Amino acid sequence: MLNGLGSLRTLSLIGLFGVLGFSSAFANEPPASEEPGSVSVRLYQLEGSLPSEDPNSSQWDSVPSSEFNLAPQVHWPPRIQEVTVKSVKVKGVHNGQEMAILVEYADPAEDAADAAALEFMVGDKPAHFAHGQKMLQVEGGPVNIWYWKNESGKAVDMSAKGFKTLETQPHQDIQAKGVWENGIWKVVFSRLLKTEDDQDVQVEEGEWRSVAFAFWDGAVVDGLVKEKGGQKAVSTWWYIRAEPSADNSIFGWVILGLVLATAFELVIVRKLRKGQAV
Amino acid sequence: MKGPIISGAIILAGMFIFLKFLLPLVTAPLPASLIYLYLALVLSGILIYGTMSASSLEAMMGPVFRFLSGKGQTGASQMARLAVLVMFPLLVGWQTYSRLVPSDLPPAENRTIHPAPPGEFVGLSNPYPKTPENIMMGKGLYAAYCSPCHGANYDGKGPAAPGFNPPPANFSDPGTIAQLQEAYLFWRIKKGGVGLPVEGMPWKSAMPRWEDELPEEFIWKIIMGEYDGAHQTPRTWEEEE
Ligand code: HEC
Repeated sequence: MLNGLGSLRTLSLIGLFGVLGFSSAFANEPPASEEPGSVSVRLYQLEGSLPSEDPNSSQWDSVPSSEFNLAPQVHWPPRIQEVTVKSVKVKGVHNGQEMAILVEYADPAEDAADAAALEFMVGDKPAHFAHGQKMLQVEGGPVNIWYWKNESGKAVDMSAKGFKTLETQPHQDIQAKGVWENGIWKVVFSRLLKTEDDQDVQVEEGEWRSVAFAFWDGAVVDGLVKEKGGQKAVSTWWYIRAEPSADNSIFGWVILGLVLATAFELVIVRKLRKGQAV
Repeated sequence: MKGPIISGAIILAGMFIFLKFLLPLVTAPLPASLIYLYLALVLSGILIYGTMSASSLEAMMGPVFRFLSGKGQTGASQMARLAVLVMFPLLVGWQTYSRLVPSDLPPAENRTIHPAPPGEFVGLSNPYPKTPENIMMGKGLYAAYCSPCHGANYDGKGPAAPGFNPPPANFSDPGTIAQLQEAYLFWRIKKGGVGLPVEGMPWKSAMPRWEDELPEEFIWKIIMGEYDGAHQTPRTWEEEE
């Protein structure tokens, strides 16, 4: 029978395993991000058809959004010092085949020249967020730009690798639909996760891609469109990922771990009970 | 006499406190995985020591075996035994889970903020004298070209700043330009974000490549205005030696 000292020993033994357990758990932990605000867009997995046609579909209501700040484009000429769109909320879904990305932002008036764009890095080489402009010490890759404009009512699938190289792709793979209501634009872009076109970003479930945003307020001020071309609201790169399907094999391994650990205990306890001379 | 288990636990706890809390007072904190490794080493040392002879083995493991076998236990110790037997498989299960579950955090980014400049920029010095006129001109150019991002107060809080990641440098922070030489700034301003080497992640930087728009004279004078406005002084070559 255990005496007081025995229980104390036991407790310290438990404590010891606790310390080891905790420190090994911390050893697994990835470093926490200190950046405020969102750092990524998640394309949540849905069953069946996506709300690609309808920015107001109730299917979007349950999808969590990310929010990103935007800046007036003061990185290269032609600059603009003040823009209408200050931030954007982004939601995404996919069903294993297609994806849909909804951007939602404030713009007090609907104008023919209002426009929105998503930009993606294409391939393995990093591309500069400003149209994949040339970097001096690093070999960059191209970008894929999805450009929607209110007056055309559709989206154009484009490519660029450097300033003044922006062009419409021979092969168009995207759709978009925008709805303006009460000072809010909602534009939903959609595409297949993967295409045959190597000018396109290819979205692989569970893998991170880079995305950036741009918006133009097409209001006409003194006879001129306020924001067009390089004069726009922009963001730098953020991450985007199509959420992978739940991997149930993990639970198999966990159960195996539980079973093995229990079996190990049973063997030990039985051995000890059989009155080993310890 | 204290039992070997208790002394072992005390040694281990002492080692943990030393590695985790005392050592960081004199040097950089150790990564958790290294602390774990050291503790595992100490533990195996204790185990080897405790199992060297039959009597030390009995002294060390006897209570554990008696506790685990559960013979003749009652009350609290019975509960404790049960708790240990239940906890162990759960701990194994939890460890398995946390090792296998895929991370849903974006890739960690270790961007080097001050990578080495290309050779041709090392050793340059500002060819313009620090006269009030030159400093004034530099501040004027700064206000026109740099303040939208780096801020009229040199604090990195310009109107365009919130949209960029990484954010524009805060020159009034002693960790930025006060650590650098004028030649280094000359490189960064001339070549911009796209001039960074791969460890600086040039593809994310909004810092413009000013050589396309500003003559060298302007850049040297902006540097003067920047240090003056931010109340910092550049590092000099002598300090470097
Ligand atoms: C479009 C916004 C923008 C403008 C305009 C801009 N910068 Fe920057 N700058 C940045 C960003 C973002 C960084 C941080 C990323 C980097 O180091 O490339 C930066 C970094 C710097 C650094 C490096 C500081 C360090 O600690 O390494 C210097 C020096 C600098 N800028 C000077 C200037 C000067 C001088 C001007 C005006 C001629 C200017 N910048 C205009 C965005 C800008």
